[in-house]
Amino acid sequence: MQDIILLIVGAALVNNVILARFLGLCSFMGVTTRVDTAIGMGAACTFVITVSSMGDWALERFLLEPYHLGYLRTVTFILVIAAAVQFTEATFRKFSPALFKLLGIYLPLITTNCAVLGVTLLLVEGKYGFMDSTLFAFASSLGYSLVMVLFAGLRERVALADVPRLFAGPPIGFITASLLALAFMGFSGMGAK
Amino acid sequence: MAAAVSGLPDVSDRELIEGVARVVAVEGGVAWLEPEQTTACGGCHASATCGAKPGSARLVARRFAMANDHDFQVGERIVVGVAEDTLRRASLTAYGLPLAFMLVAGVTAQKLGGGDLGAAAATLSGLAVGLGVVRFKSLRQTKRGELAPHYLRRASGHDAECGVDRS
Repeated sequence: MQDIILLIVGAALVNNVILARFLGLCSFMGVTTRVDTAIGMGAACTFVITVSSMGDWALERFLLEPYHLGYLRTVTFILVIAAAVQFTEATFRKFSPALFKLLGIYLPLITTNCAVLGVTLLLVEGKYGFMDSTLFAFASSLGYSLVMVLFAGLRERVALADVPRLFAGPPIGFITASLLALAFMGFSGMGAK
Repeated sequence: MAAAVSGLPDVSDRELIEGVARVVAVEGGVAWLEPEQTTACGGCHASATCGAKPGSARLVARRFAMANDHDFQVGERIVVGVAEDTLRRASLTAYGLPLAFMLVAGVTAQKLGGGDLGAAAATLSGLAVGLGVVRFKSLRQTKRGELAPHYLRRASGHDAECGVDRS
C-alpha cells in the first residue's frame, strides 16, 4: 500500500502535470475563471486520462513494444485519446442524457488538451505495470484537477480585488500562477518518485 | 425531460450558473430550447477560430425541454440557470463514481494476485458497474428535476453580447 501512496503523491503533487511539467496550460488559463467550470473540466479530464491510459498501456505492451513500432506511439495515443473522449460522450449520451446535456461542453476540449497526451507518454517512460500505470494516470490527473480548482479559487478572489490597470486580467493571472508554482515547489523535497 | 416540465426544486436562494438558450420549438405547454453556441470557457476572444467550439449537431444533442409558463415564442432568447452545487455534484457523480469503482476493483484484483490481465479485467468490470450506478443515480436526480435548467429571464442586450452572464 505504501508504494501506491508514494506513486499517487509523486504524480499528483511532486511532479504536478501543470506546475512541474507545464502541460495543459491552455485549459489552466482558459477554464479557471470559475471554480465550478474548473471542477467540471478537472473531473472530465481525470476520467478521460485514466480511461485512455488503460488503452495506451495495452497497445504499448502488446503492439508497439513487441513489434518495435515506437515511431507510431504519438499518433496511436492521440487516436486512443480521441476514442476515449468519444466513448465517454456516447456513454453519457446513452446512459444519462441529463448529465450529458449538463456536462457535455467540456468533452471536446479534452481531445486537444496536451496534458492528456503528456501523461500517457510519461507512462511509457515509467515502464509501469497495468495497475501502476492506471494509478499514475489517475494521480497525475488528480493533481491537474487540484491545481485547476485552486487556481480558479484564487482568480475568483483576485477578480474582486483592486488590481492596478496594467496588471488586470491575464498579467495578474500569470503572477498568481507563478506564486502557486512556487508553493508547489515545496513538495519537491519529499523525494517521492 | 419530463422532469424539466414540472416538479422543479426551488433554486431562488442558490448560486446559479447562467447561460443563454434559444427557443427552437413550442409544443403545447412545452418549449424546446437549444443552448447558444459559445466556447466552453466563455472567456476566449478568438472564438471564431476555436477548434473546440461545439458544432450544430452537438447543440441539437443538447436540446432540452422547459415548461412554457412565460409564453415563449420560437426564436426568442432566454437566460436559463443551473445551481452551482448541481453542476459540482453532477461532475463528481458522472466521472468520480466510475473512477472510484474501477480503481478499487483493479487494486483489489492486483492485491489478490490477479496480475496485469486480471487487474485489467477487474478494472473494466468496475468501470461497467460504476457506469451502471451513475445511470441509476442520474435517473433519480432527473426524476427529482435536479439536473434541469431553470428559467431566469428573457435575454437582454448584455446577455446578447457574449452569451454568458458574468455578473
